[in-house]
Amino acid sequence: MEIKTFYLTKGKLKELKKEYEELLVSEKNRAGQDEAPKIFESDNLNPDFISFKENVDFLRNRIDELKNIFDNCVLIKNPPKDKKDIIDLGAKVKIDIDGQKDEFVLVGTLEANPFLGKISNESPVGMALIGKKVGDEVIIPSPVKTVYKIKSIKYEIS
Amino acid sequence: MTNLLKFLTESGKLKTIPRSGWVLRGVKNPESIAEHTFRVALMAWTLGRQKHNFNIEKLIKIALVHDLCEVYAGDITPYDTILPKDTKKRKEMLKTWPRFTEAQKKKLSESKHKKEKQGLNKLIKNLPAGLKKEMEMLWLDYEKGLSREGRFFKQIDRAENLLQSLEYWQIDKSLPQKSWWTQANELFDDKLLLELVGNMDKEFHKTHRPKH
Repeated sequence: MEIKTFYLTKGKLKELKKEYEELLVSEKNRAGQDEAPKIFESDNLNPDFISFKENVDFLRNRIDELKNIFDNCVLIKNPPKDKKDIIDLGAKVKIDIDGQKDEFVLVGTLEANPFLGKISNESPVGMALIGKKVGDEVIIPSPVKTVYKIKSIKYEIS
Repeated sequence: MTNLLKFLTESGKLKTIPRSGWVLRGVKNPESIAEHTFRVALMAWTLGRQKHNFNIEKLIKIALVHDLCEVYAGDITPYDTILPKDTKKRKEMLKTWPRFTEAQKKKLSESKHKKEKQGLNKLIKNLPAGLKKEMEMLWLDYEKGLSREGRFFKQIDRAENLLQSLEYWQIDKSLPQKSWWTQANELFDDKLLLELVGNMDKEFHKTHRPKH
């Protein structure tokens, strides 16, 4: 299993712990085969898509995966007052990208989903934004230049 | 056996469905969904073996399964709901990566997931239970990034797309490149894939660099 630090919001950690508990129950009751765990119920997934316990390997792998995450996770916290104007993990940032408006939240790799505006702190854009303030411009070294102008920074970590 | 044959003939339709992103951009003879799947499976195998302790069989299976839903759901792009009819405006819009509000992003993502889930279910509903379940789980892993392999593959999928855009750009320098690179810079965070993307940049831009 890979040794890596996973930066997680409190909400995501809670969600994963709930999933973990359900998987353990499911594994324990596998012989019973009468109760499907309500896992992966978060976001946009419909739990009726799965009767997960039928896939024993997947169940075991996911339990191991979650254990590894819990062993190596760091909770994303609100920064101290004097650093709330600086982009770090957990920041919700309003940005002007070549004249178009967008909004990003800086998250760890596990929560990253650029299609939902969740940008990994390990991506080129995530790395470049960290440490920046309102008014700063970030240009990503790339074959075609894109300019990110920072308009506002907020922390609403749950 | 009849149901398996039906599944195979239906899946085979992916050989003739062109990838929407290239159709929208007017690429001549664009690749099919099955052609994309072929190379993304090769990438999953050859790149996956460089990762410590990755399950390569699972990675390749995820590659094979990830776009099966498109037999019925079609190849959905983020531009689908916003592209204007006016050709000039369309061209202009396709030069950049589209931006949406938080609520729009959520809505688009949910709608895509729902359509694709229905598409996959329709395609595999008559397969033997074990096989059906395995395909569901592999697709879900890709969609939700439930394992290291699922998360890694999500990025490989986009890396193949970027590579294809570079190949088309080599043939036709008027093909806008910015949207691919913007997306790449916001999406890739795997070190191996960032290295691969860096190499793509070096190899394809030795003599020319894209203007837009």
